[in-house]
Amino acid sequence: MEKGCIIGIVITHGNLAEELLATAKMIVGETHDCYAISGSDLCDEDVARRIDQIVSTGDGERRAVVFVDYFGGSCSASTVRATRSHPEIRVISGVNLPMLLDFVNKQDTYGLDEIVDHLLHRGQESIRVVKF
Amino acid sequence: MILLFRIDDRLIHAQVVVGWGRALRPDRIVLADDVVSSTDWERELYAAAARPDLTATVLSEREAFEQISAGVFDSERIFLLVRGPREALRMIEMGLPADEINVGGLHPRAGRRMITENVHADDAERAVLREIVKKGITLEARALPGDRRVTINSKVV
Repeated sequence: MEKGCIIGIVITHGNLAEELLATAKMIVGETHDCYAISGSDLCDEDVARRIDQIVSTGDGERRAVVFVDYFGGSCSASTVRATRSHPEIRVISGVNLPMLLDFVNKQDTYGLDEIVDHLLHRGQESIRVVKF
Repeated sequence: MILLFRIDDRLIHAQVVVGWGRALRPDRIVLADDVVSSTDWERELYAAAARPDLTATVLSEREAFEQISAGVFDSERIFLLVRGPREALRMIEMGLPADEINVGGLHPRAGRRMITENVHADDAERAVLREIVKKGITLEARALPGDRRVTINSKVV
């Protein structure tokens, strides 16, 4: 069900999530419907609870993309566990700044699976040797 | 041979694969866990978490004990990983020989109190850890191999 923009949730070890979001704000000004969670401080149940709180509205659930730092890390395991029963949430690992900026640019206008394709592409193409 | 017998409630994650894996270079991680081994997606999740650095074999506690006893892993260097004190004690009571257990991670949760920065346990878990200590096993609490080695035997009595 479509209800508003896609929510972005960044879950990482330590302060990476907060800092990534803060850095994105430095570049684009303000962001909306984006949340940072320090997953390494929380147990699985807490991560699940926070995600539920963020996506649940009085009447159904919002769409969301959850960005985790590291595929196979404890944040990614807790997130998979917390989101398996949410059909409108997608999880992407290996979050980087260009990916997050692309998300902020597209969260109001793109569909969920469409945005995931774009984010994967943007995140990956931004990893390159810089030499001119 | 078992290079490391570790208790970690986050199971297979970066600290184990990269932190300990790069230091000790095992051939395989054996995760002995009844829940993970009986759930397809959890098995895949944790097997993927070890790759590409390491191979993970996910087994039930009984299967892990039987395969270890039968010598299946004798010619390999393995990490044996369980989720908590109860799981470790069960393996020991099945007959798994152990001199030392690395209590690498028991993270904060309702009811648990801190023993060291990375080890938190509730009363029931402390009682189990005491049982393990009574068997003459050393409990050392390092999250990572470079951490200072702290024996917690006296901290659970």
